Amino acid sequence: MSNDTDWLVGAGLALSAIAATAMLQPRPRTSPSPAPARLPPRTGPHPRASVRAARRLNRAAGMLAASVLADSSVEHYRGSFKNKAMVTPLAVSALTLAMSAHGTADRRPWAHRLRDGSYLLAAATGLIGTGFHVYNVTKKVGGFSWQNLFYGAPLGAPMAILLSGLLGFCSERVRDTSRARRPHVFGLPAARTIAAVTAAGLLGTSGEAGLLHFRGAFHNPFMAVPVTLPPLGAALLFNAAARDPDDDATRAHPLTRAWMWLLAAMGFIGIGFHAYGVSRNMGGWRNWSQNILAGPPLPAPPSFTGLALAGLAALGLMREHPDA
Amino acid sequence: MSVEMSDDPQATPRAIEGRAPDVFRPGGWVPMRCHRDEDAVDFVIVGTGAGGGTLACKLAEYGFSVVALDAGPYFRPLEDFASDESEQTKLYWTDDRISDGANPLQLGSNNSGKAVGGSTVHFAMVSLRFRPEWFKSRTLLGYGADWPIDWREMWNYYTEVEQALKISGPITYPWGPKRPRYPYRAHPLNAAARVLAKGCEALGVSWTETPLATLSAPRGLAHPCVYRGFCVAGCSTNAKQSALVTWIPRALAAGAEIRDLAMVGRIEVDDDDLVSGVHYHRGGRWHFQRARNVVVAGYAIETPRLLLNSATDRHRDGLANSSGLVGKNLMTQSNQAVWGLMDDEIRSYKGPPSLAITEHWNYQDKGKDFFGGYAYMSQGPLPQLWANTLAQARGLWGARLVEEMTNYNHVAGLKIVGEMLPQERNRVTLADEVDQYGLRIPRVTYSWCDNDRRLIDHSLAFMTRALEAAGAKDIWTQDDDTCHLNGTARMGDDPRASVVDADCRSWDIPNLWICDGSVFPTVGGVNPSLTIQAIACRTADRIRAMARRGELTGQRATGTRTAAHATSASS
Repeated sequence: MSNDTDWLVGAGLALSAIAATAMLQPRPRTSPSPAPARLPPRTGPHPRASVRAARRLNRAAGMLAASVLADSSVEHYRGSFKNKAMVTPLAVSALTLAMSAHGTADRRPWAHRLRDGSYLLAAATGLIGTGFHVYNVTKKVGGFSWQNLFYGAPLGAPMAILLSGLLGFCSERVRDTSRARRPHVFGLPAARTIAAVTAAGLLGTSGEAGLLHFRGAFHNPFMAVPVTLPPLGAALLFNAAARDPDDDATRAHPLTRAWMWLLAAMGFIGIGFHAYGVSRNMGGWRNWSQNILAGPPLPAPPSFTGLALAGLAALGLMREHPDA
Repeated sequence: MSVEMSDDPQATPRAIEGRAPDVFRPGGWVPMRCHRDEDAVDFVIVGTGAGGGTLACKLAEYGFSVVALDAGPYFRPLEDFASDESEQTKLYWTDDRISDGANPLQLGSNNSGKAVGGSTVHFAMVSLRFRPEWFKSRTLLGYGADWPIDWREMWNYYTEVEQALKISGPITYPWGPKRPRYPYRAHPLNAAARVLAKGCEALGVSWTETPLATLSAPRGLAHPCVYRGFCVAGCSTNAKQSALVTWIPRALAAGAEIRDLAMVGRIEVDDDDLVSGVHYHRGGRWHFQRARNVVVAGYAIETPRLLLNSATDRHRDGLANSSGLVGKNLMTQSNQAVWGLMDDEIRSYKGPPSLAITEHWNYQDKGKDFFGGYAYMSQGPLPQLWANTLAQARGLWGARLVEEMTNYNHVAGLKIVGEMLPQERNRVTLADEVDQYGLRIPRVTYSWCDNDRRLIDHSLAFMTRALEAAGAKDIWTQDDDTCHLNGTARMGDDPRASVVDADCRSWDIPNLWICDGSVFPTVGGVNPSLTIQAIACRTADRIRAMARRGELTGQRATGTRTAAHATSASS
């Protein structure tokens, strides 16, 4: 392996780790500035709630992008960047991460053209990447078989950058419509749309974990956790998305919120389990340069955290906007 | 506790003074229950490989007192195994033997083992079930001999062994009756395996990932396979689920004693025609271990050799030999190959050597001009073996050999494990020469029959087509290779036509048992290790049942220490 790619991967890993830490850093609470007197009093929810939700979505998209950046760095390095296109997810997820950081810090109630563009690029990368991965699996002898699903390019992985792009794009729409009667995405109520997208993402990610944990024969009982908790979370989110928006009593969704926090924690604890998995390979962590590649992927579990954060953003928006 | 002596496992026994090596921890030890020679134990087992190691574990877990002796060293795989083919020949049984007949067997690497764990320490880990019909091949297929065991019973014991070894196998197996899911998933295919797959797909026959006794995920303290490729030279990561790292740690935990560097020279028979123990050589002198039962599990050469060497005035032809069949019906398996060069780099030595398999010609009876069947698998010869193959099979030497070796990374090959028919003329007898222990050495006589040749010709023709279809060039055939040994103490229903019954109990001496590949009446076209272990598990169950009914003769073996010791170390 050339030094260039080593640097590339190192940089990717470092950047994603820093960004992930930064995004979860609790921000100092700024005391709410009194509303300027010259604005006329409004009815309905305050636009700041939408911006807050949008920023949370930026953070969720960034979390996913960080996971993708680290994961694709390691896995595509493992694949020796055999195809030049394999650097694409590194570049795109790094850009998405930067844009998401920008969005998380941005309090302005309108969409940002560059962020929008990069989120669309991320989504497109996810779709095209899935195509590449499907091609990789099916061109191998045996075609669409367990062997190739296990060991070929993981079909579900590019979906993570697609989801990051979608959530980011939704975030921009929420910002853009924060002054409207209700925030929306292409005319659909934003919070419930995002909840549904997130729920679908949870199911897909859980499916991916299921496939790879099945490959590992669920040899550790904890390997069942990411295939049981996320689908329940998805069901709760779908349920929240389907609720009658006028029914004020059911807008808080305390169980669903708690479940999202549980999934967010699970994503981080998963890193610890995967680190343990790495240690169980020959040579353990002393042989880290091989075993990080051979063992369970360290950056994969936090994609659940990213999705859970998106779910929380959607639920927050739902609570504050009756008909979002 | 002990004076620190040389730690050369081939020079000094390691399993002594109440402890045995912990194969999972460098320098570690596990406690071991020890027996005195003069105390009769329930079972002395001669050999600790697929048959003896498995049986020692199961009998100890059932509460019997067990001493298992092995002539070989007690290796620590994490420390003692080098990535060096020459060094690792220490795993083979290379004591003096005479090999003759029209097709003399090459003895050593792929048909013997001299270590605690036997040849499973360096076996290729291929873990296949027999085709059900083979258990009644005489009745159903018209050749060989019937086994006295029903295949459905064996199916359950296969499952037990597959679980015990955490076999990594395909999700669905293309041939034979339904089997439970393999406990671990199949390994990724290497390029050599993909060549096999391409050939099969081109010729329209099924293929699959080979069920292998090497871990595709962690298991306890054993690491998953690192695809180092030195499997048949000894696995240094403990991914390989040999008897040494599976059955034997369990046996120790259940109270069995293992004695390494302990060569059994003679089984003692008393005046009542019952065996009373074994004479064994350890630490420079002969000892006698008393036992209520003796199990011989030395594999198809050493087992008959020991029985023949134990002859007395009352048993002039050797023990358990009233049928005259001890040593007869030796069966190896044909191991011919087709090799070729691929345009792409193959690096076939990466990963376990036989990652893909087709059992098509084990299950398809049409289009055959021979009895029996064969499987063929992808290959991954290590460099020294490959150079030897080129030198021996093609007569290459000097500059031509060096030049041919430059193609090593492009070589792909297909190799059969083929059924050879039992013939009484293929046999193990005693030569007059003696070995380092003063024991008469075995003479191994082997000649192929016409059916064996027809099977080989069929396989070479088919594999040549398969390799061509996969895109190989410069294809050539390796016509003369064999592997695995079975027979020489066959089981059966008739005391006149077999040495042991279905329970591996000798017809002649009720407290003498034989539990290894020697009891096979036929070999089938699959590697025998899984079947040997399944037979051992069945034998243990049968012994326990007989003990409960008071049907073990001699001083009765009593299962008094049942549950307390019957804990499993690594399940």
